[in-house]
Amino acid sequence: MKREGLVKSLLGAATLGLLLWGGLPLYRHRHCDIAVVKGPGVTAVERLSAYSPGLRNTVADTSVFVLEGREPGGKAILLGDSHANEPEGLLASLIFIENAVVEKGTLYVIPFFNNSASRNTRPGDGYPLYFDVPTAWGALRVRMGNRDASPLDQWPDPDVYVHFPDRQLLSFIDVRNVNRTWPGRPNGPLMERVTYGAMEIMRREKVDVAVDIHGAETMFPVTNCIVAPEKSVRIATLAALTVKATEGFENHVEPSPAGFRGLSHREIGDASDTLPFLLEAPIPFLDQPTGPKTTKLILDGKDPFLLSLAKRKKLFVPYDESGWPLEKRVGQHCSVILEILRQYSKRNPDKPIVVRGVPRYAEVLKNGVGYYFSDPKKADAKSIVDN
Amino acid sequence: MPLVMIAYYAIAAFLLGLLGWNFVREKKSPDNLILYLLVMVPLILRLLRVK
Repeated sequence: MKREGLVKSLLGAATLGLLLWGGLPLYRHRHCDIAVVKGPGVTAVERLSAYSPGLRNTVADTSVFVLEGREPGGKAILLGDSHANEPEGLLASLIFIENAVVEKGTLYVIPFFNNSASRNTRPGDGYPLYFDVPTAWGALRVRMGNRDASPLDQWPDPDVYVHFPDRQLLSFIDVRNVNRTWPGRPNGPLMERVTYGAMEIMRREKVDVAVDIHGAETMFPVTNCIVAPEKSVRIATLAALTVKATEGFENHVEPSPAGFRGLSHREIGDASDTLPFLLEAPIPFLDQPTGPKTTKLILDGKDPFLLSLAKRKKLFVPYDESGWPLEKRVGQHCSVILEILRQYSKRNPDKPIVVRGVPRYAEVLKNGVGYYFSDPKKADAKSIVDN
Repeated sequence: MPLVMIAYYAIAAFLLGLLGWNFVREKKSPDNLILYLLVMVPLILRLLRVK
């Protein structure tokens, strides 16, 4: 009896130890906020639940940064972290929040669009929970999330996701993927409520341009591009040609397929007057045949297996020993967004969107991404927004 | 929280209780003890809303 009690106690203690060892980092990751420093251009911070009440008191509710210009003009919305394992979208949108000053028009920026996914992870793929962006004052610690919202926040998954309103049958997992739940509905699954909130911003505020910022595998054909539907394709093409001619990087245009429902670049345009664009930058971390999924791979994008595949012409982007580093991906996004806004303003002189203070590709390459973030510890407490 | 999620948590708690009871009642097999504990791990993590 005494021995039995001892064995059970030891086994119980070992299990408790395992639970703490494995569970505590996940718990901390889920409850870790990132301090976003409001830049000089931020005029208001709202919550997405103000536009989609079904998000109130849920993890999916998230901050909406408003940068209103001194003069009226057009309006644009930027979405980062739609897929929270594609951090170039988050970092590009944070650069806009901290650095952009809007002279004409208004910018809405939602850096953690899928807030639940940004607090989720993919342990089966060995994802790191965080990565550090080097800065002059130390490092900005960023949550590395997952593509889909956490099942803790939206569950159960259906056998098949029946898209609303088109009733197209999509993969069950896409019910937690905000880039399949557009245009959303106020009382649908949580991720549909997220996209509904963004649609409501676009409809109520009469937003002219929407940019959904992503990353994509180098082995995926829709990478290093601007995805645009028919109504946005002219501006997308002009932006792609301009950045290639003036800044020297490729970012071709891909048409948004009309028959594939739920995607931002399709549904935003069909459900509102807004012109949607989805940006993809190649992120080697997402490719399957890579080495370990390390923070280094997130930052420098260098992988020997991808290099070997590149030599066999199996990738859809040029790839060499220099990899595809974070600053290149984020810099591309910054330049392409600025160029889309410029091209829109040229075509719509009565509704210009003029933004200054945001670095372009060459500057981000030269200075690094961290250069554009200030130290939250030294910032005024009123200018910090935890998300 | 939707009703189905509440039901799921209730079922997880019930199964956890059964496993705990079996763990306490088990007298002979150390293998079974380990198996009970291993099966409890995901249920505990879910009930604590960790994973």
